[in-house]
Amino acid sequence: MKIYTGTGDKGKTSLFSGDRVSKADARIDACGDLDELNSILGALAAHLATEEKRVAELQQIQSDLLQAGAWLATRPDSSATDSLREISTDQIHFLENAIDSYEEELPKLNAFILPGGHIIAAWAHLARTVCRRCERKAVSLITQPMKSQVAEPYQHLLVYLNRLSDYLFVLARHCNRIHGIADKPWKL
Amino acid sequence: MKTKLATHSAVLLKRKLLSDKSFEIMISSPPEFQFDPGQRVSLSLGEHTRDYSIVSAPQEAELIFCIRRVAGGKLSTLLSVADMGAPLSVYGPHGYFTFRPTSRSAVFVATGTGIAPFCSMTRSGISNFTLLHGVRLQKDLYYANQFQQNAHEYVPCLTATDPLPQKAFKGKVTAYLERHLPSGSYDFYLCGRQEMIRDATLIIDERFPDSLVYTEMFY
Repeated sequence: MKIYTGTGDKGKTSLFSGDRVSKADARIDACGDLDELNSILGALAAHLATEEKRVAELQQIQSDLLQAGAWLATRPDSSATDSLREISTDQIHFLENAIDSYEEELPKLNAFILPGGHIIAAWAHLARTVCRRCERKAVSLITQPMKSQVAEPYQHLLVYLNRLSDYLFVLARHCNRIHGIADKPWKL
Repeated sequence: MKTKLATHSAVLLKRKLLSDKSFEIMISSPPEFQFDPGQRVSLSLGEHTRDYSIVSAPQEAELIFCIRRVAGGKLSTLLSVADMGAPLSVYGPHGYFTFRPTSRSAVFVATGTGIAPFCSMTRSGISNFTLLHGVRLQKDLYYANQFQQNAHEYVPCLTATDPLPQKAFKGKVTAYLERHLPSGSYDFYLCGRQEMIRDATLIIDERFPDSLVYTEMFY
């Protein structure tokens, strides 16, 4: 099976809903950012290779992000949404439970911290910032056409991305902690 | 989409030649196996596996597949000689190449055995579409009767010289798209080899803006 199809050689690509759009289209842009985040999570998992539980957690999230990407690659008014599986509350709870369990072991924060420390923590912070960018683009795609009420699958997607940023923040702190590095507080 | 991915057991029930290179097999439909017209499964015999689109409709008692015997193709060769009753494994269904009706006209474009998902759709009651089926010779136009009855327009596109049946187009499906399909916006469903899908998609971008394009690539 060849990786190249040639259908995008003139700058267009297809949405899951069948629309042919420019590769600079806002939906493709958002999907690209999710892809970037997913790849950074892959790098993070590679750094955490000896921590099986963390790697499994990150791989679950990588899979969830592909699911999220399918929603962003589909116009909300298309019947193609019938083929998509919603981000569930269970997937959101999975992140929340992980955040709670990390936080139990972390010292309380009284100030902003500088993103960084151990190299793995730095990767987690980088993932967090890309996740926030994904969230901003998802908000723009989702809330603009739905001026009144955001449909449930999209609401779940927004919650998921918001929670994922928090997860990555505490994961970064966890990585510093297990490597004996204190988070560096911001000082004016 | 109502389908759930799982592995099922089935047996070979019947084999019918369609042309010198293609044949149809009928296998038992595993209990609890559900699919939507246009989907495919991973079919295994022994240690060999390959994806095939389903030809039959969900309401039919058996599953039917249209198979092209490929030189060096292990599974297609095995299936062409397997005994009736041979045990098969069916993993699936896969894919999203299903019919999504809109107010626009649907144009189905297939090359060779890429006709399979459109068979399933037609046998499920979908009608009033335009179908371009690209093959080399007239004898490769399996299922022509079925489409003549249900399509709004059925255009066999033959690349070999003669005989050219009535209402057939001499040339590739992409040539028909480029020169004969009236301009406008359509819902295109493309199934077949990569080259056709690439060329057709680029023509659609050029000639039929604001169309939707769904693709299923055969390897």
